Amino acid sequence: MPPKPHRVLLDRVSGYADEAAAYMRRRRLARRPFARLYYSGGRASDHAADSVAGGELFVAAGRLIEVAGKRPKA
Amino acid sequence: MLGPGTRAGILAEMADGETSGTETAVAADAAAGALAYLTEMSPDLRGGAILATDGTVLAASGQADRWREDVATLFAVADRAGEEPVEQLHVGTEQGEVFALRHEGLAAAVVADRFALASLLFFDMRSILRDLAAGGDGRGRDAT
Repeated sequence: MPPKPHRVLLDRVSGYADEAAAYMRRRRLARRPFARLYYSGGRASDHAADSVAGGELFVAAGRLIEVAGKRPKA
Repeated sequence: MLGPGTRAGILAEMADGETSGTETAVAADAAAGALAYLTEMSPDLRGGAILATDGTVLAASGQADRWREDVATLFAVADRAGEEPVEQLHVGTEQGEVFALRHEGLAAAVVADRFALASLLFFDMRSILRDLAAGGDGRGRDAT
């Protein structure tokens, strides 16, 4: 027996909503600020934005971003 | 704490233990050419600078003084965050991403748009610094 038409529509809307929610989750994770330091020998360390070192790194990086300015549009 | 007196020695603490002298061998025009080449290769790049061991700006897009000061501050902060000098660093913010690298007695720092390809950019920066330090023009061929 074929599903009722409104069920098909509901399933499709739910599917799109799930996709959108997953996209927003990924986007939120990807856009989270990060500071990563690499040392000789391949060691690396991450510093959260709310840590002292992380905060200082973000301020220093922000100054460089300000100096570089915006990329000229082609 | 970050006074001018302390900044001079920041870039001297090169992670690879390279001694000074490289900066004198690298011509400013070669560094400028290398920076232009890097910008050409990386469409996400907004600007950058190449510096010598003593913090002297060899090439920069825009205000050289600001680049010198801010790159030195960035490395100083990064060095303080750990127990040894950093070799390279990557900071991503909403406004853009900063990549900085010390290699063979030189330093490079660039700012790129968000989601730039970090490993590729670091590879290009490292190649350019290696070539400049070897007396090349930063493009992988000998300076003429």
